[in-house]
Amino acid sequence: MPVALMPDMLKILHTADWQIGRQYGRFAPDDAVVLAEARYGAVERIAALANDEQVQAVLVAGDIFDAQTVSDRSIRRLFNALQAYAGPWFMIPGNHDAALAESVWSRTLRLGAVPDNVHLLLEPQVCEHPESGLAILPAPLRQRHTYDDSSAWFDTARTSPGLLRIGLAHGSVQGVLAAGAASGNPIDPGRAASAQLDYLALGDWHGMKRINARTWYSGTPEQDRFRDNDAGHVLVVGLPGPGAEPLVTPHAISTYRWLSQEHQLDVQSDIGQLISALQALSDNTVLELAIAGHMDLAGEQQLQQALAVAAGRLRSLQCDLSGLRLVPSAQDIASLQADGYLGEVLAELQGGDVPADPAVVREALLIFANLLREQAAAPGPAEVQP
Amino acid sequence: MRLIRIRIQQYRRFSGVLEIRDLQPGLNLFSGPNESGKSTIVHAIRSAFFEHHRLTSFDGLQPRGDSSAAPAVEIGFEWQGEHWQLAKRFLRQRRCDLEIAGRQYSGEEAEARLAGLLGFQHAGRGGSKAEHWGIPGLLWVEQGSGQDIVTAVAHAGNYLKSALGASLGELASSSGDQLLAQVQARRARLLTATGKPTGEYAAGIARLGELEEALNELDTKILQYRQQVDLLGELRLQQQADAQKPWEELYRQARQAQASLDETAAWSHDHQRQKQELQSCQQAQQLCSDQLAGFARQEQELQQRQEKFRQASQELDDLQAGSGQAGQQLQQARAAWQSADSALRQARQREQHASLQRELQQLEQQLADTGKRLDQARTRQAALHEQQAALQKNRVDAAAHKKLQQLSDELDRLRIIQQAIAGRLAYRLEPGQQLQLDGQAVSGTGEHLFLESLAIDIPGVGSLRIEPGGENTAQAARRLQEADNNLQDYLRELGQADIAQAMDAARSHQDLLKELEIGERQLSILAPTGMGALEQQHSQLQQRAGAIRARLNPDQGGCTYRHYGAEESAREQLAQAESAQDIAREQLEEAEKRAHKSTLDLGLARQARDAAREELQNLQAMLDDPARTQRRYELQQQLVQHQARGQELEASIQQLQLRINAARPDILQQDVERLQRSAQTMQEAAGQRERELLRLQAELELIGAHGLEEQRAALEPELDHSRRRHDELARRAAALDLLQTMLAEKRQALARRIQAPLQRHLKHYLQLLFPGASLQVDENLIPELLIRPQHAGHEAYMDLSFGAREQMGLISRLAYADLLQEAGRPTLLLLDDILVHSDGQRLSHMKRILFDAARRHQVLLFTCHPHNWQDLGVPARDIRSLVTAVS
Repeated sequence: MPVALMPDMLKILHTADWQIGRQYGRFAPDDAVVLAEARYGAVERIAALANDEQVQAVLVAGDIFDAQTVSDRSIRRLFNALQAYAGPWFMIPGNHDAALAESVWSRTLRLGAVPDNVHLLLEPQVCEHPESGLAILPAPLRQRHTYDDSSAWFDTARTSPGLLRIGLAHGSVQGVLAAGAASGNPIDPGRAASAQLDYLALGDWHGMKRINARTWYSGTPEQDRFRDNDAGHVLVVGLPGPGAEPLVTPHAISTYRWLSQEHQLDVQSDIGQLISALQALSDNTVLELAIAGHMDLAGEQQLQQALAVAAGRLRSLQCDLSGLRLVPSAQDIASLQADGYLGEVLAELQGGDVPADPAVVREALLIFANLLREQAAAPGPAEVQP
Repeated sequence: MRLIRIRIQQYRRFSGVLEIRDLQPGLNLFSGPNESGKSTIVHAIRSAFFEHHRLTSFDGLQPRGDSSAAPAVEIGFEWQGEHWQLAKRFLRQRRCDLEIAGRQYSGEEAEARLAGLLGFQHAGRGGSKAEHWGIPGLLWVEQGSGQDIVTAVAHAGNYLKSALGASLGELASSSGDQLLAQVQARRARLLTATGKPTGEYAAGIARLGELEEALNELDTKILQYRQQVDLLGELRLQQQADAQKPWEELYRQARQAQASLDETAAWSHDHQRQKQELQSCQQAQQLCSDQLAGFARQEQELQQRQEKFRQASQELDDLQAGSGQAGQQLQQARAAWQSADSALRQARQREQHASLQRELQQLEQQLADTGKRLDQARTRQAALHEQQAALQKNRVDAAAHKKLQQLSDELDRLRIIQQAIAGRLAYRLEPGQQLQLDGQAVSGTGEHLFLESLAIDIPGVGSLRIEPGGENTAQAARRLQEADNNLQDYLRELGQADIAQAMDAARSHQDLLKELEIGERQLSILAPTGMGALEQQHSQLQQRAGAIRARLNPDQGGCTYRHYGAEESAREQLAQAESAQDIAREQLEEAEKRAHKSTLDLGLARQARDAAREELQNLQAMLDDPARTQRRYELQQQLVQHQARGQELEASIQQLQLRINAARPDILQQDVERLQRSAQTMQEAAGQRERELLRLQAELELIGAHGLEEQRAALEPELDHSRRRHDELARRAAALDLLQTMLAEKRQALARRIQAPLQRHLKHYLQLLFPGASLQVDENLIPELLIRPQHAGHEAYMDLSFGAREQMGLISRLAYADLLQEAGRPTLLLLDDILVHSDGQRLSHMKRILFDAARRHQVLLFTCHPHNWQDLGVPARDIRSLVTAVS
């Protein structure tokens, strides 16, 4: 992008949806702590990037906090994380941290935790910043959900000539996002044009998305969902001048990569493929794995081994084996030496006719196989032979 | 397996040799009293098989007191067509020799072969014990231990099971029980026996519950927090509105309404005042009108008074004219009355005279009448006096007459009685002849009655004396005499000669009485009130007639006597005169009244005229006063003025009322109150909001600092983890439970299959003892429950009586023997003094069972009661006959 290299071009950094204070319930406690911590790390890297890129300002388009009642410590930690960039930060509240009568923002202000270079735009009014040549038009959310377009006032807002008109809003662009995401806080997709904005920085959608040349979702800087939608970026936006089309450069900034994979195991070699797929993943992967199909006891042992190795190496591994059926092979059964009525029980368990939850049957089969295996390895007291 | 021969030498009780030959394939019965050596034989057989020949110490094996003896046992038996010969010697020259179909074995090898064949173990060291005995321990019953089958089966268990296993084709798992125990142990870590969570699983559930509760609590708090934040937002909005002080407008409106209300009140005041003025004005009008009307009435009155005066004068004149006429009429009336009155007096005198004459006439008539009656009465009275005198002389009155009659009757009666009882003397004398009865001569024919002694004097003959018989005749004669005496006395008293005379006197007395009565009645008619009164009346009449004659002028009287009929006309004249006098008097009184009234009226009329004249004069004078005219004029002026003012006021009042009505002061009053209260309420609400806002703000700041949502977020991973762990444990517990259930079920099914043949044999024997019963064995094949149809429920084997246990024990042993035989194992039953506790009936059943079993197995039965076993079909061999001396 040659234009972006122009040294004197005005640049801003666009980010959103930091979701500070978010916790990860579905993970093991130590994983969850690390993932929550990673969100502060992302903010630190954003500050560092802003400093490196020499941007005029950093725009944060809402959902800075994941909830209204985060602890005081979390609030202080966040603002400390901004230190690396001394330029102006412009922040608006989103739906998670809406500027309610009493909100995380009023607490933040009471705490006195906000550095001078951070501008909390809690009212829908133009904020002109001649030093950076920007006129910010914020659309802060002041309710958890609105059904009016809070950016509508941009159209009639006047700004000083010579300043770039930059919109800052949080919500769902109508008709562009998935139906489920476009439920509340609507934003007109033509707002940038109708309000003659040079750039409209949006938050709420956690993936990076371009709506039009002047309207972008930056997405969350640190991935927090198993949805493959280009999350984990910030946007450096070059603004050649009033009315000129902006130059948007995404920067990957996420520490962890969230992956969701499904595997079908039908033949013995499928396990090998799965194992190599696991081995190919980087250590910073947060993996959600669903394995379906069927396998014999030997395969199961092999799979458990591979999963144990991967769980030790990856940031987090969650595995759903409910779709996997255990089918002991003839060889399995022979090796288990299940004679007499034990053999009958084994046959019934693998036959699938047991009137019980399949997961329970599978577990029972595994336990039974393990016990048989142990017994075979260390036989009990010698039988009395008459 | 069949024993053929046993030889025992120098063994315990037998210091010599005991040899049993010709043992039969089935039952063999040995008898002998106590201490004859039955148990020694059994002991020897046991020792031969079980005990190591090498044993150095073996208590009580040698015959008593013979420590140099070398106890030896030789046993010959057949097994699977081969002949086995076992010879064992203990303590001295210890040996074990076994010959199997000509093959020789000795020592340990021989013993191992025996153990393998029969299914037992040799003790590692020392003497053999029950746990080593295996199958023989089960089938060889020592004296007094027939009932104890549990330990025996336990020791034989593995051999039995292997025998069964062989028959079932090795279905049993070699390691099933061990695995089942492991599953149970693992399940027990998570679940209790009844399936309730325990250990880590239970702790996990509890922890999960705690976490969920904590999360719920946090959620509730967060929800409350959010609601309060919303409330705060609303309050802020309202506060902004409050800043405009909207209640000021209401206060202004209230003031306006108050002003209107005040104005209306002023109107009301005016209205009231004018109404009062109107009232006084109307009163003044009335006053004027009343005075003017008074003047008008006075003028009217003058005319009336003039007329009244005229009428009074006229009336006086009329009365004066009428008064002369009245005086004249009075004089005439008075004269008329005087003439009528004198006429009346004359008429009255005439009438009086006539009346006296008439009375005199009547009196004279009466005098004549009474005089005649008086004469008659006097005559009558004299007659009466005579009669009364006669009556007084005759004393036979009614009472005397009656008494006389009674006395006479009594006498008659007594006479009749005497006649009836008297002695009767009838006589007929020759003519001329006579005799004397009581001195009284009688002759001819007759009859003589006698009551007393009768003296009969017959002349020339002498006298006879007859005495009446009995007392009665004498008594009757006495009574008759008494009655006659009484009558005669009474007649004397009455002065009568005899009874007839007395009766006549009585009749004349009665006639006199009647006459007297008639005379008295006639006298009372003539002089009803007595003679005196009649005489007095007569004299009175005479006096009165004298008096009237005196009053009458003898002349006039004479005259009058002549005009006796004038009396009637005199009376008529008197009546006429009286009537005329009445009329004249009434007329006079009328005339007098009229004259009086005339005088009175005249006086009154004069007085009335004078009064009318005075009134007329007075009124005229008043009307003629000039001040009165002036006053009347003034009054008329005033009246006009008051009327004008009154109309003015009425119009004004009406107008005011309309204005007041239109203004509605009541509603205005309400408006004032409503508006003031509204404004006040609004202001207070605003103050309240202000305080609420501050309170809420403070509260929210406090809660916000707690980081509720962050707490919740921190809690969630733990909860999730706990939930996953719980799910894992639940799945694992369910899996272990499933596994345990399946294993146990399979195992039980297997046990049932294994037991089936044993059950078949048990049933075979049991039917002979208890038809329809079954004996259940546990998984170790030990008898457990006896089920008899005639006994309710199950009976545990251990709870059965000693005798029954012994019987069940034997039956079980026989069944085991059948089982072993089917599995191709050798069976031999040694029964030492069994079933001693069975009653006769049970024993006979058991003997059938035993006999049946002996068709398949060799049985050696030892008893000290040979008579009990006489019906077993085999002879009892006396042990004593088998013993031979030391060779």
